[in-house]
Amino acid sequence: MTTQTAIQPDGPDQHRRIGHVFMWALIICFICINLFPFLWVLVTSFKPVGEIYGAETAFRVIAINPTINNYLTVVNKGILHSVFNSLIVSGITTLYVVMVASMSAYIIARIHFRGKTALMSLILGISMFPQMIIVGPIFNMFYQFRLLNSYWVTLAYSTITLPLAVWIMVAHFKQIPISVEEAARIDGCSQWQSLWKVIFPMAAPGVFTTAIMTFISAWNEYLLTLTLNAEKDFQTVPVAINTLRTQFSILWGEITAATILVVIPTLAIVLLFQKQIVSGITSGAVKE
Amino acid sequence: MQRRMTWKEFCFILPLLLLVSVFSLYPILSSFSYTLFDYQTNNQAKNALYTAATLNTMLYVEDCDYLVYYLNKDIPNVDESDRATLTALVDKLEAQKAAYANSEKTISLPAATDQEISALIAETEQVAQSYAEKYPTLRIVTKSGQILDEMKTCLISSNFIGLTNYSRLVSDDRFGQAVGNTFVFTILSVSVELLLGMALALIMNKAMRGIGLVRTTALIPWAIPTAVSALIWCYLYDGTSGIVAALFTRLGIIAAPELLLTTAGGTMFGAILADVWKTTPYMALLLLAGLQVIDRGLYESSSIDGAGPIRTFTSITLPLLKSSMLVALLFRTLDAFRVYDLIAVLTKGTPETLSIYAYKMMIGQSNYGYGSVIVVAMFAMVALIAFVYVKVLGAELIQE
Amino acid sequence: MKKMLAILLSVALVLATTAALAEPVTVKFAAQADSTPATQAVVDAFNASQTNYMVEWVDMTNDSGAMREQLTTSLKAGSSEYDIISMDVVWAGEFAASGYIMPLDMMLDDAGLNVADYNAGSMASGNYNGKQYVLPFFPDLGMLYFRTDIVSQEDAAKLIAGTYTWADLLAMAETYAGQGGTTTGFVFQAALYEGLVCNANEFTSNWTDVKGGLEIMKQFIDSKASPDNILNYTEGETANSFVKGESVFARNWPYQWGVIKSEGTITTDQVAVAPLPGGSTVGGWILGINKNSANAEGAFAFMQFLNSEAGQLIMSEQGGYLPGLNKMLTDERIIKSDDRLSMVGFQNALKTTIARPVSAEYSKVSDALQQAIYPYLSGSAEIDATVTAVQAALAN
Repeated sequence: MTTQTAIQPDGPDQHRRIGHVFMWALIICFICINLFPFLWVLVTSFKPVGEIYGAETAFRVIAINPTINNYLTVVNKGILHSVFNSLIVSGITTLYVVMVASMSAYIIARIHFRGKTALMSLILGISMFPQMIIVGPIFNMFYQFRLLNSYWVTLAYSTITLPLAVWIMVAHFKQIPISVEEAARIDGCSQWQSLWKVIFPMAAPGVFTTAIMTFISAWNEYLLTLTLNAEKDFQTVPVAINTLRTQFSILWGEITAATILVVIPTLAIVLLFQKQIVSGITSGAVKE
Repeated sequence: MQRRMTWKEFCFILPLLLLVSVFSLYPILSSFSYTLFDYQTNNQAKNALYTAATLNTMLYVEDCDYLVYYLNKDIPNVDESDRATLTALVDKLEAQKAAYANSEKTISLPAATDQEISALIAETEQVAQSYAEKYPTLRIVTKSGQILDEMKTCLISSNFIGLTNYSRLVSDDRFGQAVGNTFVFTILSVSVELLLGMALALIMNKAMRGIGLVRTTALIPWAIPTAVSALIWCYLYDGTSGIVAALFTRLGIIAAPELLLTTAGGTMFGAILADVWKTTPYMALLLLAGLQVIDRGLYESSSIDGAGPIRTFTSITLPLLKSSMLVALLFRTLDAFRVYDLIAVLTKGTPETLSIYAYKMMIGQSNYGYGSVIVVAMFAMVALIAFVYVKVLGAELIQE
Repeated sequence: MKKMLAILLSVALVLATTAALAEPVTVKFAAQADSTPATQAVVDAFNASQTNYMVEWVDMTNDSGAMREQLTTSLKAGSSEYDIISMDVVWAGEFAASGYIMPLDMMLDDAGLNVADYNAGSMASGNYNGKQYVLPFFPDLGMLYFRTDIVSQEDAAKLIAGTYTWADLLAMAETYAGQGGTTTGFVFQAALYEGLVCNANEFTSNWTDVKGGLEIMKQFIDSKASPDNILNYTEGETANSFVKGESVFARNWPYQWGVIKSEGTITTDQVAVAPLPGGSTVGGWILGINKNSANAEGAFAFMQFLNSEAGQLIMSEQGGYLPGLNKMLTDERIIKSDDRLSMVGFQNALKTTIARPVSAEYSKVSDALQQAIYPYLSGSAEIDATVTAVQAALAN
């Protein structure tokens, strides 16, 4: 009987089984806690305003009168345009940051030049500085060059994305054996050519990781867009969501609906590229 | 084996240097310079870095214009005999207007000009006083007082104050509280994240089959913009319709649902919980990466030696995990120390951490001088924390 | 030099444009998104009314803290990005002190406009160092909403006439709470935010009776007359409680009338409005002109149009905004479109408006007031220490 087998006396098997059950219980518990806020946001996004407040209806899982009005309203308010803006801005940032980071990482990984440690420390130091302090001076610059309210904001994003990108790229370039490059040099490649034709393709996983990390931090940026692109036409997702307030109340129905809509691209990226993301998070943390 | 870079090689890192200088170094250095000045943008005598006597021509011309405007209205209402005095004053003010109308917004102010302008202000004051009794309703009598006071503020003296802002920091209780709050937030959230993250990493390291699912769900909170996830928690904590607040009240963790967003203890607890939710998975992934490179053979030999799971953990896992753990802790500590988005969106600024205090000073109260000092102090602490991790605990950041 | 260049340039520009197309000058108007069509309608009407200027509305963020930040960053840099600037009433002191906006006295005079003709509270909030910096966009004011189907006729008359005290209201709230399906008596804004300053302003009769005012405020919080979690109430919670028929009395802004109509489980027939015992705090938005604007005349022309009879009619009919031009409060056309103005209690509230402190450092003052008052209301500070702290905050 099954119960008999389960209560088998001693033996590592039983220990392992209990351990497994316990572990899986923990994992399921973790997944539930992790996802609960999103599930609740999803639930709320289908509730009419009246049900979101109020003691009896606020905690119901299924709305009494489910509605998609919240979604229609935020779409009408142009939330999808902000998703489009975010895609453009994060896309451009990713492109140029990966290029710039590859070029410098190539030199940093390959050549022992004077001031290298200083350069790396500088980059690290910058990433430690509180962000708000750079906003004012950058605004003045953008104002003087008439770059406000445009996609030029991507240039300013370099301050939050470049340090990490250089860091990851250096880690990956170092893993490529120097002999590969020497062979290319013998074949007559210049440094420029060997970077783009030999090293870059070989470091593809690292490049990809850098690209995704850059994309996500650009996607998440809030303070710079808020001040540099005040006009609605150029607002990105984090800013657009935080404007769904009226003077006297926060529109939870609309905010939850908008959250669901804007989380979809992030979800897609996480689902498709989780391996690269994990490698991005951990590069530098593990000494191999 | 160090050598000088060739020109070609320098061109490779030139874009990086340019971007870093323009968008990071220059702004950081300018805010350092702010700390030496009494720089407050809501006060026109202090709204720039003035190192020498300066004239606020824009406001001065505007004030002259106001006086002329009042005087011209008054002239028809005074006796013939007094008109000459007023007309003469109008001419003088008009001359000043004309002299400065087309100059820059602020110009340097020689001592002679300073005296000339002060004399004019005194003369106008004197005229206003002398007519006060005879014509109590004249505009120059009733309205010129505030304008003249404002005119005096057009004569700007240097607002360079050296290290005064820094000394103010020492006696600022609110700064002390902010430091306290920041440390409480950082220490509590990072240690809870370390404990939970470690547990999660150990589990994930064993359960190879479910790891994909766990990893995916773990990444979601991390990938959501903080500005958005803070808003989600703000909803969950809401005193009247927030489910987490209601749940905690029912479980007896808090006395009433509104406390999570209103009291000092409640907001600290709420902010830490939201931060733990968002970054524990991140911590777990960092630690998992460290766990996965530990040689499995070590565990097997340890189990042959008869070591229990706790002994194995302390004698094998922990020492081998140390370097990954320190780097993970360093990154998380620095991030937590600078926390801004989360608290700003969640509660609009309580508990008041250093970033929040600096932000309120600079943006909220337009005091860029003192606000920058707070940021610089914060940076010093961040550097100190990094130093402790790297030199004292031996975290290796720059690998060669 | 710069100015001369600018003048030359703009002259050249004007000549070039008039020669080419006679295109109107674009005037940029920075204001928050409007959930009603009114703002766009006023802009359109102004653009159609003349050919010199073309006003273009720039949609700012609805989070007013963030909007202030966007504006100050832009204005601090000396930007002429926006010509007309919409401001919360409490920002004007700071914007004027910072030299961000230009004084309007001479323009008002040339146009034959009189400061006294406009909403007193709005105009006062934009008067700094004796100069007038603003015209109204739309005024707002705190008022008492109450249930006519629950409150006795005698009490209702007292409320509408404004001949009651906070203590009277406390007694009434305790008496009526629970009647007619309600669960509580009086709801107001006591959460830790700007709304607390507005409410305390009213409880203390514009800070003339700080001790008495705060004590009665605390009595409301401690008694059964107000909900247990009143210390978490902002306008959202207040409106929700009242329009769902859960409370007998509510202190809120005029917009709540519209919420009753659109979302209420009660109808406007069951509700009347009354002035508050200590006066009504003025809120709402005001308009100023960027000091660096090259189009000040155009900007002023628009502000003048918005505050003219025609502009006020559009704002009222299309958006339900209160007129900032005083004579329109009793205008038949406006009363016809805005039923609130037909209420005696509403008109009485309009007569007793009070302003919050006007200061170059308003956010500092407000912050200090909130930090002083809230601990007392939540029971962690004594009244005497609180009064001292409030006085210190006001003296700043």
